[in-house]
Amino acid sequence: MKHLFLTALSAAVLFVSGQAISAEKSAREIVEQAELNAYYSGDDGRSAARMIITDNQGREQMRQFTILRKDQEDGGVQDMMIFFSRPADVRDTVFRVVKRVNDDDDRWLYLPDLDLVKRISAGDKRTSFVGSHFFYEDVSGRDTALDSYEVLSEDDAKYVLKGTPKDSDKVEFSYYEVVIDKEHMLPVESTFYNDSGEAYRKMEVLEIETVQGYPTVTHSRISDLENGGKTDMQFRFMQYDIGLPDSIFSERSLRNPPAEWLQLRD
Amino acid sequence: MPYRKILAFTVLFTLAQAASAQDSWGDDEWESDWGTEQDQGIDVYGYVEAAIGGRFESSPYHKRLSIAEPRLQLGFDERWQDIAWTAKADGWYDGFDETWHGQIRELNAQFTVFDNTDIKIGRQVLTWGIGDYLFLNDLFPKDWQSFFVGRDQEYLKAPSDALRITSYFDWFNVDFVWSPEFDPDNYIRGERISYFNPLTQQLTGDDPSIQFVEPTRDEYALRLFRNHEGVEYAVYGYDGFTKSPEAVTDNFQPTFGRLTVVGASVRMPLGPGLVNTEVANYNRHDAEDHWRALVGYEQELWTRFTGGFQAYVEKGDNQTRTVFTTRLTWRDERDDLNLSLFAFVSPNQSDGYLRPTFDYRIDDNWSLSGGFNLFFRERPETFFGQLTENNNAYLRMRYAF
Repeated sequence: MKHLFLTALSAAVLFVSGQAISAEKSAREIVEQAELNAYYSGDDGRSAARMIITDNQGREQMRQFTILRKDQEDGGVQDMMIFFSRPADVRDTVFRVVKRVNDDDDRWLYLPDLDLVKRISAGDKRTSFVGSHFFYEDVSGRDTALDSYEVLSEDDAKYVLKGTPKDSDKVEFSYYEVVIDKEHMLPVESTFYNDSGEAYRKMEVLEIETVQGYPTVTHSRISDLENGGKTDMQFRFMQYDIGLPDSIFSERSLRNPPAEWLQLRD
Repeated sequence: MPYRKILAFTVLFTLAQAASAQDSWGDDEWESDWGTEQDQGIDVYGYVEAAIGGRFESSPYHKRLSIAEPRLQLGFDERWQDIAWTAKADGWYDGFDETWHGQIRELNAQFTVFDNTDIKIGRQVLTWGIGDYLFLNDLFPKDWQSFFVGRDQEYLKAPSDALRITSYFDWFNVDFVWSPEFDPDNYIRGERISYFNPLTQQLTGDDPSIQFVEPTRDEYALRLFRNHEGVEYAVYGYDGFTKSPEAVTDNFQPTFGRLTVVGASVRMPLGPGLVNTEVANYNRHDAEDHWRALVGYEQELWTRFTGGFQAYVEKGDNQTRTVFTTRLTWRDERDDLNLSLFAFVSPNQSDGYLRPTFDYRIDDNWSLSGGFNLFFRERPETFFGQLTENNNAYLRMRYAF
């Protein structure tokens, strides 16, 4: 009797934990699918981007750059180069990143006035990307392994998930809620909450276009809910699967940007 | 005279604003010029800057003023028949010597041959090696005068008139630079920054009796380099002359000794930071040979605050010089204020150099920078010690377009 009870109990425990695992897994599956769609569409890609940064007093700044990207493997290592054209003080500056999962990225910055290839040590990825409200992590993607996820709600159109950092000392948020649109399986809104449970930062997708069959965010916005101010980012001239050779992602392209891949055509 | 200076600056500034007006973006900011094939016109860029700076104390060798200049830089890039053309020139009024100056910083053509080789010919800025403000294998000309009076960091590198050929292969890449005529540093020669003259054993300001004799021969520089899984390896060679005068002619005028350098470097991630190491053998032909070696480490210490450290040694049979450097950099949350402290300290020569700087980006056009150049010493004949009379502070305001 006692034995039977124990068996039943352990079965119950197994059942309950099995449920928990599969719930977590499905939340993770959703997030991983959304990450692939947001950051790994096609084998490679080219896009021009423009950011308009508005501070809390309404003053505007602009950044303009072209991104070349190539995936070594979906969800894994990714080569990226960002060629800045505006404003004047970053003109012709090139940023090169080898994005790694579960490890620090390799990063270089080319300063044309000095002909200097400056290597940048690994840094906090939740800091401003070129003075905007976007973080480096918003541009390159936050490693999904850093958070645990649960599904808060689901309807025909969307999932609402909660992401909680596994190591809360490394980030400024306590948790975030992300809305994933079922039609495109893309995150369309993320709201970040601080320790007192107040929303202080919000990412929203304002426009999605389907390019060569890949749903692509073409307009998004990060708002600082605490201090005011926002950055809008738009993408243009997107192309996927253009056959970028590996050799593009090298010191050579810092000094001699590959014009044929950077030419913007509609 | 002051009126003319103000007028000159006003004219430069108005020109700059006119040039940038085409860049403004209103309601249709998203639609304006993306730089497509269709809307590529002639694109001139540059900046107008006003710089002012002074020495802390009156020096017996110089006036108090260390820098006072309105400056205009204009640049222009064009791609024509698969050749990238670049032109960039500066014009400025130098309040120190009270004359107008002009300099072409870049005037070059870059193109690709055989798919794997890039050629750049003409006036260009050249940099390699991995030291931070310490140069072992980078024997391209530096402008120490600009560096020590607080011009923008860009001016630390003086241009070379050179042919650069870079070939890329699967296993390694080769970079070759030939300058038909030796390009010295813009070295310290007294008229703006005083120095220790070893012949007279005293500090020297502007002395017209000293003739610096510059060689006219050509010079070569070579680099083989490779990035393998995030580790950057390089081997270097140089044949030419010391870049600043370190020898004397038969009639005791300062000149540039023959120099051949062979060296190597490695840069890679280590733990949470980056480690770099570089060595070079300086074969001086007519003087004592020596080695130079460097080890450095850089890491983000906490969010937006980075610390770098380097240990450097120059060692010959009779002379050794050691230098430690640190670079501390902090930037604010919006990335518009950058504070930096670079310190050189030589324990065995008991001298050093501190460079605290700030850069504040007001908006996409305006920026304000300032800082100090502070030298300290026990003896006047040491590397940094000879410059103590030149301690100065400066401020620069820039409008970029």
